[in-house]
Amino acid sequence: MKVIEMNFLPDVYVHCDKCNGKRYNRETLEVRFKGKSISDVLDMTINQGVEFFESIPAIVHRLRTIQEVGLGYITLGQSSTTLSGGESQRVKLATELSKRDTGMTLYILDEPTTGLHFEDIRVLLEVLNKLVDKGNTVIVIEHNMEVIKVADHIIDIGPEGGKDGGRLLCSGSPEAIISMNQSYTAKYLKEEIGI
Amino acid sequence: MDGENKIVVRGAREHNLKNINVEIPRNQLTVITGLSGSGKSSLAFDTIYAEGQRRYIETFSAYARSFLGNMERPDVDEITGLSPVISIEQKTTNKNPRSTVGTVTEIYDFFRLLFARAGEAFSYNTGEKMVKYTDEQIINLIVEKFNGKRTMILAPVVRGRKGHYRELFEQIRKKGFLYARVDGEICEMSHGYKVDRYKIHSIEMVIDKLVVDESDRKRLRDSVNIAMKHGQGIIMILDQQTGDTRFFSRHLMCPATGISYNDPAPHSFSFNSPQGACHKCNGLGEITEIDFEKLVPDPALSIAQGGIAPLGPHKNTMIFWQIEALADKYGFTLKTPVGEIAEESLNAILFGTGERIQLKNSPLGSSIDYMMTYEGVVKYILNQKSDNPSKTAQKWADQFHKSMKCPECNGQRLQKEPLHFKIDGKNISELAQLDVCELSDFFEDIEKRLSSRQLQIATEVIKEIRTRLRFLIDVGLTYLSLDRPAGTLSGGESQRIRLATQIGSQLVNVLYILDEPSIGLHHRDNLRLIKSLQQLRDTGNSVVVVEHDRDMMLQADYLIDMGPMAGIHGGEVVAAGLPAEVLKSNTLTAQYLTGKKKIEIPSKHRPGNGKSLILKGASGNNLKNIDVEFPLGKFICVTGVSGSGKSTLINETLQPILSQYFYKSLLDPLAYISIEGIDLIDKVVQVDQSPHSCPKLKSGVISRDASRLMLKGDVAKNVKVPE
Repeated sequence: MKVIEMNFLPDVYVHCDKCNGKRYNRETLEVRFKGKSISDVLDMTINQGVEFFESIPAIVHRLRTIQEVGLGYITLGQSSTTLSGGESQRVKLATELSKRDTGMTLYILDEPTTGLHFEDIRVLLEVLNKLVDKGNTVIVIEHNMEVIKVADHIIDIGPEGGKDGGRLLCSGSPEAIISMNQSYTAKYLKEEIGI
Repeated sequence: MDGENKIVVRGAREHNLKNINVEIPRNQLTVITGLSGSGKSSLAFDTIYAEGQRRYIETFSAYARSFLGNMERPDVDEITGLSPVISIEQKTTNKNPRSTVGTVTEIYDFFRLLFARAGEAFSYNTGEKMVKYTDEQIINLIVEKFNGKRTMILAPVVRGRKGHYRELFEQIRKKGFLYARVDGEICEMSHGYKVDRYKIHSIEMVIDKLVVDESDRKRLRDSVNIAMKHGQGIIMILDQQTGDTRFFSRHLMCPATGISYNDPAPHSFSFNSPQGACHKCNGLGEITEIDFEKLVPDPALSIAQGGIAPLGPHKNTMIFWQIEALADKYGFTLKTPVGEIAEESLNAILFGTGERIQLKNSPLGSSIDYMMTYEGVVKYILNQKSDNPSKTAQKWADQFHKSMKCPECNGQRLQKEPLHFKIDGKNISELAQLDVCELSDFFEDIEKRLSSRQLQIATEVIKEIRTRLRFLIDVGLTYLSLDRPAGTLSGGESQRIRLATQIGSQLVNVLYILDEPSIGLHHRDNLRLIKSLQQLRDTGNSVVVVEHDRDMMLQADYLIDMGPMAGIHGGEVVAAGLPAEVLKSNTLTAQYLTGKKKIEIPSKHRPGNGKSLILKGASGNNLKNIDVEFPLGKFICVTGVSGSGKSTLINETLQPILSQYFYKSLLDPLAYISIEGIDLIDKVVQVDQSPHSCPKLKSGVISRDASRLMLKGDVAKNVKVPE
């Protein structure tokens, strides 16, 4: 991309005529792997990338985590400014998740459902559940009932905000929680499970 | 809908939008929903908001625009029916520590006005109420209190300062005053009179000696006037029989001790103004100081073993030669554990010695002994922090600092004087520490507790404060206090604060665009939030919300569903209309809303591995000394209404404990008593809450992959993989 300044009109972006929009110099583009230059690779979607780099575990592991959080359709070279809020958050999540887990790792997530649609939440929960199934522990701070209802263990702090809060109201499985009276979470959880 | 009543977007192609046409009803609450990446934000922010913004900027002259920078024209054929647009996004407003909830909501500005105009001043010496009088009141008071008594009228000219004051005494004499009261003694002003220049003195001119008498007001008035002129608005009356003095002033003054305050102005209550800010911490309420526990982390280690952390273990460097020389002088060795070194010697190591010390010649390889001053470890750290521009050095120096409450203002950020102005017994900082709920109670029936004069001044201000507090309560922020730094708010909280200010602005015919306002809000407060959005609509505005919340969707006047999938497979409007109409369609959103599709509740829960991480006695912020058990091998959800202490427990207590344990992080956890089971996990990974996270990280992922690809490419070239 090349920027042409139009002074008091918005800048115009045109394809760079030297590299033809490939962003690399000729020598670099000559280097190929399985017949593809780096620029070709950056034009691939994550899904294609997983197939292409099948034999290279280090890369494929990273790509798989991005695929698992449901972002298989973005391209490797996609400018990060064009990602939506939810997408960029999940890329971030994928980076953290791609770090090798040991089966004894503790993950802490603060409101991971920010910007996520029901369907996205379902995908996210799958990823988190996989981690827990391997023996890891996941702690999530969350208000979203969809997440609360599938948790193994709930810790409810309250009852109110500010000085009237800060007490441990109850903890246990969702079924054990809903019998609590003074907890707001229990009240809404009952409705949610009841549906 | 006729053309006037809707915003029509034709041919939007920004990002992944597929040349779509959308109609959004005006003066309605519209919710745009859809999968993440389906083009909701592209439509709401990158198309509609961007175009509104651009058109606004277009109205400026070309000259003005050259300063504003240019707005990109969104890729859209036509937008009609657009009104001025205000977007309320989630970007955490401001990381500046000077910005607080009070200043952002402008409530603090009203507080300042209230205290400056209607506050009562109290002396910081005696706690007595400060008074100010007109000349006429002063004369009346003197007549009343000292009637028939022998008194002196004095004009204070020097109070509690050093000097010999020969010129001053000479001046007094030349003006025709024969006596002055110097440090409580009446002295005659003879030629060349002076006092000890190294002692602290108080000097008052004796203006008049008289017996106060109701009938001779004229003499009293004349004398008071002269005294006022010489004493810069302050006079003293001395009862000659008892020796008691009493101050009277045109300014605010403590009648017993005579300290006076300047007339209060709103800026003297601002911690962001030099007139108001505490001098020690410059209005931040916090100062950073060297933490000695971090300098000497383990007193059992000797200096050679690295007992003094900034120096590290013994190296053959100048500073160790210097310490060795000190050791000779003070009688310890580098092998003595730091805890056993005498305090005096340790102070010398840390703070340096005033005198020059003799360095042994051996390490320098010269035959002459060196003499040099040793400045100490602390000085070195401070120098690194203030003078060394390199980031590494700054970071290195920072690790030995800790931030603590400013001892001068006790974290209240203001100077002594403004803190002694009170409304109903509370000073401005005490009010700012209350949470919104308590504050609202305080102002509820404040009229009953104010004097009629105060009430007359304050009525309007109190009205403004009340409405603003009301808005904060409406958006569910009852638990925030006004002195909470804006930088510590979550994205959702700062967005709701902006929402509250917008509702307060009472504009009409504006198009508000909000990005997920329900984030971080417990179910309980959600309905209140929806109500305040509806209120915004009812005052005559159009509200467009990008949202995933079920209740919000169902409460909307108009629902737009984007999809069908994300990224290049999205970017189309799959359903639009009244929520009931959208429910009938077969989109993903509709399926979830009607319950056709749902997130399944697992039939049974994982048992975990039977072991637990147990945090005991957590008491940071509002936590009430609680013990929490985290069963390992489980999916744990921490929940509770906003402000209940979830983040305090996890992000500010548990996480720092673990990071310190595993990664030697420098962040100190909040108060807790003990933690058990930390050995049952082997690392901790945190994915924090930054809603629209930074592009850097994302590009980081890709460039890391890319650079690996390059590396692979090089390998490929070397081994000549056939094309």
